[in-house]
Amino acid sequence: MLKLAMKPVSFFLVFSFALLNFNVHRVQAQMVDTHTVIAEQEAADKRARVADFLAREEVKEIMIKQGIDTVEAQKRLASLSDAELTKIAESMNHLPAGGDGLGTLVGAAVFIFVVLLITDILGYTHVFSFVKHQR
Amino acid sequence: MVAGLLFFVLPVLLASCSLLPAGPMPQKQHGPAKAMIEGVPFFAQEEFQCGPASLAMALNWSGTALQPADLIAEVYTPGLKGSLQSAMVSSARRHGRVAYPITGSEALLAEISAGHPVIVLVNLSFSWYPKWHYAVVIGYDQQQGRVILHSGRNAGEVLSSRVFMNIWQRSEYWGLLVLPPDRLPAGGREKEWLAAVAGLEKSRQWQAAAIGYATALKKWGKSFAAWMGFGNSSYRLHELDASAKAFYQAALLQPDNGMAFNNLAHVLAEQGKSKDALAAAQRAVDLGGPSIDTFRRTLEDITQNICATK
Repeated sequence: MLKLAMKPVSFFLVFSFALLNFNVHRVQAQMVDTHTVIAEQEAADKRARVADFLAREEVKEIMIKQGIDTVEAQKRLASLSDAELTKIAESMNHLPAGGDGLGTLVGAAVFIFVVLLITDILGYTHVFSFVKHQR
Repeated sequence: MVAGLLFFVLPVLLASCSLLPAGPMPQKQHGPAKAMIEGVPFFAQEEFQCGPASLAMALNWSGTALQPADLIAEVYTPGLKGSLQSAMVSSARRHGRVAYPITGSEALLAEISAGHPVIVLVNLSFSWYPKWHYAVVIGYDQQQGRVILHSGRNAGEVLSSRVFMNIWQRSEYWGLLVLPPDRLPAGGREKEWLAAVAGLEKSRQWQAAAIGYATALKKWGKSFAAWMGFGNSSYRLHELDASAKAFYQAALLQPDNGMAFNNLAHVLAEQGKSKDALAAAQRAVDLGGPSIDTFRRTLEDITQNICATK
C-alpha cells in the first residue's frame, strides 16, 4: 500500500518543488542598518583604545627595548581584525586604573602581558601559543 | 547584533516556575532606603507559566493591555516547560517595548527607586537540581532587609533580601526592564540603550525604535549611532525629511565615516534629488571603510536609476 502510494506522491513533490520560486530578489536599498553601525562604532572604539595604549610612554619603552618600531606598530594596528582587537581590549580591561600597594605588583604583570599580547598579535613576538598568526 | 549574541552566549536558562518559599533574615545594602512601585498589575500564574505572567505584568505597567494568555505562544516553550530569556526579550520587542537587561543588586535598587519594575530570573533550588522561576520585583526596604515581588500566585510577596540574593545569584543576577521607548533606565548607558533599541528594528517596530532613538538623542545629542538609528527607522516610516536630516547630523558628527553618506544617498534618491544622491554615494565610496562593498552597490544602484530615468 505504502509502496503503491510512493510513486505518485514523489512525483507530486518533485513537481511542486519545481514550481517554487528560488529567485533571490536583489536587495533594493543598500542601507547600512543600525546593528552594523553599532558594531562598527564599537570596533573603532576598541582600535582607538589600543592605539592610545601603544602611545603610552612606558609601553613605547618596552617596545623599543625589544627593537620594535613604534610607528610601524601603530600602522600594523590598522590591519587587525575585530576578533583580535576584542582580545586585546578584553585583556586591557584587567589593567588597574590606579596603583595601590598590591595593585602595582599585579598591575605590572598584567601590563607586560597586555604589551606582549599586542606585540604577538602584531607579529613581532611569539610568546603565546594561542595567538594565531595570519601573516 | 551585539545584544543578540549576548543572549546566545548566556547559559540557556529555563524557568519552570515553582512557587517561592518564604524566608526570614534581613540584610542591608546601598542606595535609597526603600521604594515601592504602585500600580504594577498582578497576574497569578498558571502552572509553568511564570514567563508569560511576569512579562504581562511588566508590559501592562509599561502601558500595553496584554494578558498572560496572549503571550504564551511568543514566550513559552512547551517542550521545555518554561520560557527562555531570549524569548522574553524578543516578545517585549514585538510589543514595541525596549527590553533592557540589567544585572546585580545595585542596578536593581536604582531601577526600582526610579519606578521601573524589574523581571528577575531566580533559581529556587540548587544548581544541580534547578527550579528556574521568573518574578517581578516591585519594591524593597533596606532597613527591614526585604524585597517585594509579584511572584507565582502571590501578589506583593515579601522576601528577605538574603534569600532573594541567594536565589537570584544562581542566574548571575539576571534582570530585565521592559520600558516604553521614551523612558530611559535609571542606570541607562548609551551603548546598552542603543543596542536595546536596535533590537526593536529587528522586530520591525519602526515607530517604537524611532522614539527610542529620539529619547537617546535628548540625552546623548552627539551620538552618531543614535542619529543613524533615527535616520534608519524614520526611513522605514517613510518620513524622508526627518530621515535625511538625521543622516546629515550623523555625517556632521563623523565626516570621515561613509555610513551616514551611504544612507543619506538612498534617502536623497528617493526624494528625487538625484544629483545630491550621487554626490553622497560617491562620497561614501571615497571614504571607504569596512562597509565599502555596500557603498559601491549604493553608488551603482543610484547611477543606474539616474540613467534609467533619463
